[in-house]
Amino acid sequence: MKISHLMKGITASVFGAAMLLTGTTANAAWDCKEVTFIVPYSPGGGSDQMARRLQPGLEEALGVSVNIVYKTGGGGAVGFSELHRSKPDGCTISNVVVPNVIISSKGEGVGYKPDDFAYIGMTESSAGTLMVPKDSPYKTIEAFIAGAKEKPGMLTVAGTGGSGADRWAQLAEVLGIEATYVPVSGGVGKMMPMLAGSHVDAAATGANHATKHSGIVDSILIAGSNEVSTLPGVPTEPDWNYVVTWGIMAPPGTPADYVEALNVALNSAASKPEVREALLKGGYVPHIQTVAEVNAFMADEIAKLAD
Amino acid sequence: MIEAFFMAISPSYLFYMTIGVLLGLVVGTLPGLTATMGTALLVPFTFGLPTGEGIAMLGGLYVCAMFSDAIPACLVNTPGTPAAMATGFDGHPMVKQGRGQEAIVAACFGSAIGTVFGAICYLLLAWPMIAIALKFGPPQFFWLGIFALTIIGSLAGDSILKGLAGAAIGIMISCIGISHAAEVNRYTLNIPELRGGVSLVAALIGVFAVPQVLNMILNLKKEEFVAEYKSEPGVILSTIKKVILTPIHNLRSAVIGAFIGILPGAGSPIAAIVSYNEALRWSKDKSQYGKGDIRGVTASEIANNAAAPAAMIPLVTLGVPGSAPAAVIAGALMLRGLNPGPELFATDGSLVYSFGWSLLIAGIVVFFVGMFATPLLTRIIKIPLRVLAPMIMFLAIIGAYAIRNNIFDVYLMLLIGVFVFLVRRIGFHPGPIGLGFILGPIIEPNLVQALYISHAVGVQKVFFSGSVNLILISLSILSVSAVAISKFKSRNKTN
Repeated sequence: MKISHLMKGITASVFGAAMLLTGTTANAAWDCKEVTFIVPYSPGGGSDQMARRLQPGLEEALGVSVNIVYKTGGGGAVGFSELHRSKPDGCTISNVVVPNVIISSKGEGVGYKPDDFAYIGMTESSAGTLMVPKDSPYKTIEAFIAGAKEKPGMLTVAGTGGSGADRWAQLAEVLGIEATYVPVSGGVGKMMPMLAGSHVDAAATGANHATKHSGIVDSILIAGSNEVSTLPGVPTEPDWNYVVTWGIMAPPGTPADYVEALNVALNSAASKPEVREALLKGGYVPHIQTVAEVNAFMADEIAKLAD
Repeated sequence: MIEAFFMAISPSYLFYMTIGVLLGLVVGTLPGLTATMGTALLVPFTFGLPTGEGIAMLGGLYVCAMFSDAIPACLVNTPGTPAAMATGFDGHPMVKQGRGQEAIVAACFGSAIGTVFGAICYLLLAWPMIAIALKFGPPQFFWLGIFALTIIGSLAGDSILKGLAGAAIGIMISCIGISHAAEVNRYTLNIPELRGGVSLVAALIGVFAVPQVLNMILNLKKEEFVAEYKSEPGVILSTIKKVILTPIHNLRSAVIGAFIGILPGAGSPIAAIVSYNEALRWSKDKSQYGKGDIRGVTASEIANNAAAPAAMIPLVTLGVPGSAPAAVIAGALMLRGLNPGPELFATDGSLVYSFGWSLLIAGIVVFFVGMFATPLLTRIIKIPLRVLAPMIMFLAIIGAYAIRNNIFDVYLMLLIGVFVFLVRRIGFHPGPIGLGFILGPIIEPNLVQALYISHAVGVQKVFFSGSVNLILISLSILSVSAVAISKFKSRNKTN
């Protein structure tokens, strides 16, 4: 009995000391002891990497430690709704992926609308890219179109989830072809081996994935009007609208001055040369935005996808 | 490659890899802490280390967790990670028979064998193996899942129907959440946490730990301990001898583990299940499987450990990780500006090979760590049930919560646990239900994708042609017929 009292005492003192020691210097704009960074996707994935890329710069700029916490599921919905429920005290932020946050909000009972959140800034974007396996008979977009016209509906194109179907439908219309769409989710990790093993004839996902896997797949078309430096020589298709954008957001009702302070910290982290270099090498387009710019961007995107 | 070996045996590599192994021992032993979470939590600590040492540490954790998850599976019938589910089928009965140390030594030695084999595949056979792995697309994964399901025949005990029903329940529950094919909610009942589906780890803890605890509580008057603790002198050597005496079984388990580990999306849990099934099918004396046959333990552990280094093969050849912990390690590499994939061989070839050597050495280290830890760990069953039961429940609750920092997972775990406890009383075996949870995410999305593909090229071509499909279908039919024949025979005997 005596020993257990002693243990209780020691435990209590250790906890007490630990709490004292974790007090940190507060930033003038807000007084968070630490920042929780919710990652709505799996560890090791793109959002996790983005969080970890920004973590050192954020900690430096904010003067407190930034803790990454995973809340995965539902294509991001679980993490986004977790952020939605968090206190708007400037101490909790999360990744945001556009258009995922908009599309997932249309699900029933999901608990958030994309215009609820307090957006801090977008940091990178990636254009949609159509890819084929290295040993595909269709090495250019012209060859692919010709192949699809020869056997309408018999070529298969993989894309991410349900929204990928709409994006493919748009491209199919622009190219004037018919092909069968195959939804793949659970991360692009499934799509790449499927494509490399020629289980599907083509796949459409972000240029960042095309860049990363350029050893096993070839890109034949890029969405939008800008070429991608890591995919030299790949033609662009301005009538194909497919861009994925990543950034950071805070819970609804976060006061404007906290959002501003977080925006400054984010941009300082995102401007670091090693972060920019990693983005450019990865096939991303880096962005630095003011709060006004990100709000305008989001309003635009939400309007585009309004029913 | 030789240069990489010397890198891997340098003191700093060995030091960090051993730390990873020790952490893996803790991570695997606590149900609810998975290898994925363990590696994810460890990644920030690797930032201050040079890359080689950092990933050696992560690899050490992964490999040891694939051993230590057998410990709670054997001692208290609760797999420490989903990969050890099949280990408990025979491991726990062994503990109840007073052969607990034998079970854990077998698991440890088996894990070491599996890890070394998997690491050798990684170092020498990466490219040929990945060529075979690329033949696996949605239809092939579907048939692999079906094949893994046929193990129900051996697990279900007396009623195959109940086994099938249990698996069906498991699969149905694993389908809860947003469908993979379209943003459609399935049975989420408007609860946001369910949109992501039922967490596998919480479900498995619910299926195995909770009924176990409830049984312990109900039996308190009759049984004071999980089992009688018998000190087994000389058990280490005699068990090692027993395991060495089944070389073909060991080799088969290792090969199955490595091949399934290399498939992105499959991983250690499926490897262990298929290996167990095959071990059962090919053995002459099947009577002891499920009742404490040491080969059940080694089949599962050799395979789930061989799958771990194998899961790194697609990472370095295709740039795609073969399992979730491999994905975390991939993320750690990418944060250092490295691009895991075929180019990595050209830019950092020695890193690729030293990692393989580190995994191989980790397998040996796991063996020694396990040998030291076994006598201590088996003493856990000396703890009386009235203390052990609340401890397990406590760990189960923390474990279920820790997965997603979500109290909802704890409620789910308890709900599933009570449900399984009740259905056990009417003859349902928890194994098939756990199997359904693990295999549902393999069978269902791949079936859907394969069906989409078949819109383009026809069902016949997609599902019933190609050597991999035909092999898997034949194996499944064989597996089912073997069970049917043996049931028929035993029924005739009792007539």
